[in-house]
Amino acid sequence: MSFSAGIDAGSRTIKVVLLQAGEVIARGIADQGIAQEAEIERLFLRVLGEAGVEREAVRTVATGYARNLVRGAEKTYTEITCHARGVARLAPGARTIIEIGGQDSKLLWLEPNGLVRDFAMNDRCAAGSGRFLETVAARLSVPLPEMGALAARSTSPAVINSTCVVFAETEIIGLLADGASPADVAAGIQGSLARRVSVLAGGQVVPPVYFTGGVALVPGMDTALAEAFGCPVAVAPDPQFTGALGAALLASELGRC
Amino acid sequence: MSECRHRQDDAVDITPIAWFARMIPHCLDYAVTAKTRGRPVVGMMCEYTPRELIMAAGGVPVCLCGGSAKTVEAAERDLPNNLCPLIKSTYGYHVLKSNPFLEMADLIVSETTCDGKKKMCELMAQTRPMHVLALPQRPDDADARESWYHELVKLKATLEERFNVVITDDALRVSSRVMNRERALRREIAGLMKSDCPPLTGRQVLQLKSSIAGLSADFAQYERVIEQAGSGCACAASKVRVLLTGVPLPNGAERVLDLIEEHDGLVVCQENCTGLRPLIDDVDLDHPDPLRAIADKYYHLPCSVMMQNTRRMDLLRQLAAEYHAECIVELVWQACITYDVEAYFVRKLAEEELRIPYLRIQTDYSPADSARIAVRIQALFETVQGRKVAS
Repeated sequence: MSFSAGIDAGSRTIKVVLLQAGEVIARGIADQGIAQEAEIERLFLRVLGEAGVEREAVRTVATGYARNLVRGAEKTYTEITCHARGVARLAPGARTIIEIGGQDSKLLWLEPNGLVRDFAMNDRCAAGSGRFLETVAARLSVPLPEMGALAARSTSPAVINSTCVVFAETEIIGLLADGASPADVAAGIQGSLARRVSVLAGGQVVPPVYFTGGVALVPGMDTALAEAFGCPVAVAPDPQFTGALGAALLASELGRC
Repeated sequence: MSECRHRQDDAVDITPIAWFARMIPHCLDYAVTAKTRGRPVVGMMCEYTPRELIMAAGGVPVCLCGGSAKTVEAAERDLPNNLCPLIKSTYGYHVLKSNPFLEMADLIVSETTCDGKKKMCELMAQTRPMHVLALPQRPDDADARESWYHELVKLKATLEERFNVVITDDALRVSSRVMNRERALRREIAGLMKSDCPPLTGRQVLQLKSSIAGLSADFAQYERVIEQAGSGCACAASKVRVLLTGVPLPNGAERVLDLIEEHDGLVVCQENCTGLRPLIDDVDLDHPDPLRAIADKYYHLPCSVMMQNTRRMDLLRQLAAEYHAECIVELVWQACITYDVEAYFVRKLAEEELRIPYLRIQTDYSPADSARIAVRIQALFETVQGRKVAS
């Protein structure tokens, strides 16, 4: 069987990657909804339809926090293992992965052979997550993709210390009331998120470092992370899809051992 | 992954498990009857308290450690939010007067195993009789052993005075023999998990114990487990073998162990105070001074409150090898500073010396983070399996 699919059912978006003989032939992304199971199914069928592949011909692995809602998945893996596999494929030799998704952030340390050696998660609050940036973007009335450009215009990034999304929002309201520019607040927020994630590393960062997950698409976050980590941080190719790619690669190995 | 040698229904007869599932009602019956007959009930909060002394005074030692999230809120009336859930749960029972054993207790023996507990006991002592054992915290100091012995001399005097009894050497020898027997039985049950195909789950091993130690009805059940175990298997051959270490899991606070075992892990060994740690050493029955023999046994408990706690690392090293652990999961209750900091050494031991993956889980009694803990546990197991395939 030569078709395999990875479905990454995340908290904010669903991603599907379809492989034929180990190479990507189709992929798709959709927003996560209330009827999660149906949303996942709809996207999967769309991707299969675009590729002209019969569902019965595909072996499927699911990942992401809603992985247990994926119909027909033969196996599930955590995002940790899947992102590691995906990044190892796209950027062989990667030793550290920063993954920032919709509702948490993770740091993964890889062995030279791409296996996960260790990982750390910020799973106690949303302050190290994409949700944090969304909240701030809404408060600053800028679309999320433009926040990086806004932050780049900052002359004096605001200092934001709150370790909680709700309190950070209060802090931002205070900063804006004190006359801080939206650009300084945006830059301050990116730095704050980057520092929060860098705490996970506990000073242990092995280069090369790759940045993945939906937040890697936000311009400027890579430089904010590079500054917080004190080393170069490269955005992984196709960062929103590394989890789904890893799942698809794991699906292609099903039943091999 | 090896094929399981046995069928699931060959596993240990359910009866002893069912017996211990009713452990609290059994203990309650026992304590009420004993109390009616004039025996004092003595509450205790940690494995440093020698049950042998309480039993030799004619008392019934009962563990009071709280494992319920439900009593935490009541405790937070007096205690800070950022305190370990075990202390808060125990104190919550005190505030709500909802632990019948605590309400029955004629004396509570506590221990200086952490600052939070020390201060909590001060609050509790306002309305309840309390004796606190001061632990020497540098066990390798020349005078530490003597100091600990004198703590037990003081406890003996308190028990004798309060309950108007004389604790004889013979009585100490009798209670030491009973407790040695209990430890031997529970050690043997724990040791069943060394097998490639263990007959029990970690949850079952955890459940096979009692809030009141030394009960002969329990001993009979322990013996049944051991007799039946030879033929059994909990179909665990494909599961990841976990050494669980860190804080104790009091009755009701088994959530993390359950998460491990619900996600293809098997807790083969528990290096903590509700597991093997207090069962390792026995009281030397041939010692001319039985109180000294008891002091020597308890003195060696490798609690994280001890400085230069190398005994715990030695124990972990030994257990990881004996139980073929494939990874170490360390449980740290929120705000338990000593375990939290000592985790540094455990991680180092696991990763640099034992070369097995290590995961530290810090949580409290609330189930809010269960889904996220499950992700971390699954990722750990995927790493263990990935390494197995790669090698």
